[in-house]
Amino acid sequence: MKNGEMKSTSKTGVRGVIVMILVAVIAFGACIIRIGYLTLVKGDVYREKAEAQQLSDTTVSAARGTVYDANMKVLAQSASVWMVYINPSKVTEKNRSDVITVLSDTLALDAAELSRKIDNNASYGYLKIKGEVEFNERKALEDLIAEKKLRDVIFVDPDTKRYYPNGSLASTILGFTGTDGNGLYGIEYLYDDALTGTNGRIVTAKDGVQFELDNAYEISYEAEQGLSLVLTLDEEIQTILENALQTALVDNAAKNVYGIVMNPKTGAILAVANLPDYDSNDPYKVLYPQLTEYFKEYGTDAEKADPVAAARIEQWKNKSVADFYYPGSVFKVFVVAGAMEEGVIDENTTYYCGGTTTVGSRSIKDYNPTGHGNETPRTLLVNSCNTFAVNVGLKMGVDLYFKYFQAFGFSERTGVDLAGESTPAVNVTYHDPAVSFSTSDLASASFGQSISVTPLQIVTAISAIGNGGKLMQPYVVGKTVDAQGNTVSVTQPTVKRQVVSASTAATVASWMEDVVTEGTGKNAFVSGYHVAGKTGTSEKLGASNDAYIASFAGFAPRSDPEISVVIVIDDPKGANYSGGIIAAPVAGEVIEKTLSYLGVEPAYTEGEMAVMSAAMPDFTGKSVEEANSLLQDYDYTVRVVGEGSTVVAQMPEAGRKTPVNGVLVLYTQTDYEKEMTTVPDFTGLTVSQANRLAVGNNLNIRVSGSASSESTVVAYKQDYEVGQQVESGSVITVSFRTTTGIHD
Amino acid sequence: MDQRTTTKKPRRGIKQFFAEGGIDIPFFAILIAIIVIGLVMLFSATYVYAYYYEDDSAYYFKRQLLWVAVGIAAMIAVSHIDIERFKNLFALAGTGASWLFLGVALLMPAYHGTHRYVYLPGGLQFQPSDVAKFALILTLAAILSTFHNVIVSKKPLQGNLARKVNDLVNKPVLNDSLKIIIPCGAIIVIYAGLVAAGSHLSGTILIFLIGIILLFLGEVRGKWFAIGGVGGVAGLVLLYQTGVLKGYMEERITAWLDKDYEPLGARWQVNQALYAIGSGGLMGKGLGQSTLKHLYVSEPQNDMIFSIVVEELGFIGAALILILFALLIWRGVVIGINNPSRYKALVAMGVVFQLGVQVVLNILVATDSIPNTGISLPFFSYGGTAYVITLVEMGFVLGISRSSKLRRQK
Repeated sequence: MKNGEMKSTSKTGVRGVIVMILVAVIAFGACIIRIGYLTLVKGDVYREKAEAQQLSDTTVSAARGTVYDANMKVLAQSASVWMVYINPSKVTEKNRSDVITVLSDTLALDAAELSRKIDNNASYGYLKIKGEVEFNERKALEDLIAEKKLRDVIFVDPDTKRYYPNGSLASTILGFTGTDGNGLYGIEYLYDDALTGTNGRIVTAKDGVQFELDNAYEISYEAEQGLSLVLTLDEEIQTILENALQTALVDNAAKNVYGIVMNPKTGAILAVANLPDYDSNDPYKVLYPQLTEYFKEYGTDAEKADPVAAARIEQWKNKSVADFYYPGSVFKVFVVAGAMEEGVIDENTTYYCGGTTTVGSRSIKDYNPTGHGNETPRTLLVNSCNTFAVNVGLKMGVDLYFKYFQAFGFSERTGVDLAGESTPAVNVTYHDPAVSFSTSDLASASFGQSISVTPLQIVTAISAIGNGGKLMQPYVVGKTVDAQGNTVSVTQPTVKRQVVSASTAATVASWMEDVVTEGTGKNAFVSGYHVAGKTGTSEKLGASNDAYIASFAGFAPRSDPEISVVIVIDDPKGANYSGGIIAAPVAGEVIEKTLSYLGVEPAYTEGEMAVMSAAMPDFTGKSVEEANSLLQDYDYTVRVVGEGSTVVAQMPEAGRKTPVNGVLVLYTQTDYEKEMTTVPDFTGLTVSQANRLAVGNNLNIRVSGSASSESTVVAYKQDYEVGQQVESGSVITVSFRTTTGIHD
Repeated sequence: MDQRTTTKKPRRGIKQFFAEGGIDIPFFAILIAIIVIGLVMLFSATYVYAYYYEDDSAYYFKRQLLWVAVGIAAMIAVSHIDIERFKNLFALAGTGASWLFLGVALLMPAYHGTHRYVYLPGGLQFQPSDVAKFALILTLAAILSTFHNVIVSKKPLQGNLARKVNDLVNKPVLNDSLKIIIPCGAIIVIYAGLVAAGSHLSGTILIFLIGIILLFLGEVRGKWFAIGGVGGVAGLVLLYQTGVLKGYMEERITAWLDKDYEPLGARWQVNQALYAIGSGGLMGKGLGQSTLKHLYVSEPQNDMIFSIVVEELGFIGAALILILFALLIWRGVVIGINNPSRYKALVAMGVVFQLGVQVVLNILVATDSIPNTGISLPFFSYGGTAYVITLVEMGFVLGISRSSKLRRQK
């Protein structure tokens, strides 16, 4: 056999079979055994591990409930937004320009800035690009991500944002939410659980780069949207209140102003405002720089170090329920009501006020040093007489005084569903009746000076007088509704107790109306609305000298009140600090506008009829003759401008509230030139004087504030500047008030 | 000359370079079965990955199909060549080209820190080690068949040193066979050294195994394997001590020994492969039903494709595929040992054993039985030139089968 040839039975053949057995039988057999072990023995373990990594368990955030006002206008609402982030470590030379282009084009970001950020974070796995991305942006972005194959670089996560469409309106009531959507302050905090709802879950199969598989099974547990709240607040009334308070804050250079409007029959709060406040959409921004300035100057060391932080906390507070103040003379209402109820005094009880009274070694003075002379309980309130009030308080004694202090709710929280209500505390906000209630304390307490209350306690208690003696529990959430709009719960008005009898309440209420028509509350007078109220001016003890709190509390209309109001002006810095001068007009404005908004028909007295305003009829389109015959029924001073035969325009325009004896200018030519006139100075004039001056200048006035014909009620403010040129027939709003005889 | 050629006229002209006779149908049938299964599984394993990264579910499948077409054409073409006529040319050219390309690969840009690829103009690339495996088979087969007499010779080796050694043990321990064994060993070491220089561990192992198998088939005496084995182990230990094997290899060994090592890093791929295999169970999830191919098993078109195969076809399917491979090896061995030409026998067996060893190594890696060395599964893994080369090797076996005495033996 030649070299290179062999027999099939040669050694090579045998060795070939040996290797074949080694490779194809033994080694392959080992492989099969190994596979068998992995699939059959360890299969379950690996399958479980594989499934665990393949299942994605995603939490679906429940949408937070909406907060509505009483008329279902949105006060706070959550909207879906998206958050965009990238994995910078997955940015490569190849996809880099795509990543930057996609992000900068869809999210309107600066490409150079993005490039720099990516470089700075190149070694990290997470870089937030933009939050609060809206739906359209997100759609465009996701399309581009798919197109450019950047699914493992750019990520879009759902997120929510809370919107407060009215910005700062009712912000101290609504509060705000944190970055994770939980309520931090206000209603958002107090009702966080109800608003939050229950998060859902979606369990899906996902692939190795964490994307869900379409064809795989999916189990989802629906997210349950949080309940929505329908507040008793009315956006309109809230706006009226805040506008009035804003003016008061600025005009008086006050530190704080608070106001509450309540339905006295139910305790439903229609509006609450505390200024300075903030914008719930941007709660960390200090809206009123004076807050920061205050803490810079008067804060503790810590507050001085970071006055902005202190200012934030200050602006977030709902001080109407959190802060205590001396109610001052407003409190006399409750002393008189309690004393009447107990028979300590009656309508005919008389008292001679000489201007001072002595309690122990202490001399208590009235504002009026010569005294009020002979008085009855009615004039105690009308004159806001301190000495008589002290006399009544001492006659009641500690037990009775404290009985009514408690009965009107001043020793307890009102139980309102607003966050941050402070708890009155013995020997902190009021004296301990068992231990330290001295005669001197009782005397001070009789005119509201040494006991502290919250604005909400005052408006709740004053509402009881208007509500036939029944003290209501105030509330702000009227009902809760679920996502489908079904009502889940409705708040029923709660009568806490009958504090005084209906007849006592009615008597005191009628005296309170007298306070407004002839006493210290004149500036809260509103024609036709029968405002009943009480003024208060208290000294802030412990504060620097000349720090006062001016307030007014009342309700209207007196016999069947629709609203009760408290206005508190903390630390006014102007020349006037008396509640009757600065707080009463604010209350008057709020009552007038609110009742008008609520459609409460004014009931005018004859005197009021003379200065009342009515809506101007429409004369346009009518012939001059027709107009003239119609005008027979009115008391307007009419000026006809132009040669035409038909009225083409009029001033004031139709529907505008105009004094019934005001000026009307009718234009009969379309190419007419507007007749102009100069605004005179109304300051210091009485209502009738101002009216005459207005008519003389071819103008109308709208009376704001007290429309009393009393000679002490004079104009102090007008909405058009003196000397300004305005169209003839324009309506100038002139504010009237009195500064005499109204100190309490 | 064997029976067949003596009964026929000596062939003249161009015809003398062509093999005649029919190919072995069983070998061809098994081969085609494996190719079809491999293609189907490649498509199934890669369509998610391909869609995600290439935007075309059939990206890998289509390219593989093209290469298979080219490869089958080449296979059929080479099966007509009478390779014995070119055995010296194949050995010299193969070795020369392999060493050249292995050298060139070292100068090429690194791929994952290794130098395994030669990049050609037009975006083509190939692993010279794939060529080298085949070239080594052809080279050793040529040497071992040509110098078979020397290999089996018991004539004592001449020379002073050899004589002294032989005298010392009083036996002709060092004989003439060393004249062939040592050059063959040197050739194997050069091949392996060049592959190892490119940091291609699995290639190196494969080269050594092919070399050892061919020397064994070439009837080199057993004692030389023992001596070589001892020397090899000593060399490995030495290499490991000098730190040459550290780095690249060390982490893979750590990742193999410590099953909790870097689950998202070094062990990610093999863990996912285990999850896939385990999820397959006895019957598998069914064709196309793998979930781990959804971007869990990284590069499912390459080394780990077998894990997806087990996940979808289960233990039964995997075993059947292995049995098909075993049948292919068996048929290759039958073709080899029934061929009168020692050279052809060595080539046929060398080729099917290379295939078998590669399958075993791949499956051992996929089943986490040995450290992850990076070795593809023939006929399943994606890879154009490697596939074509494998099919050319199959073409050689088919060509050899034409002259094997198979049918007549019945």
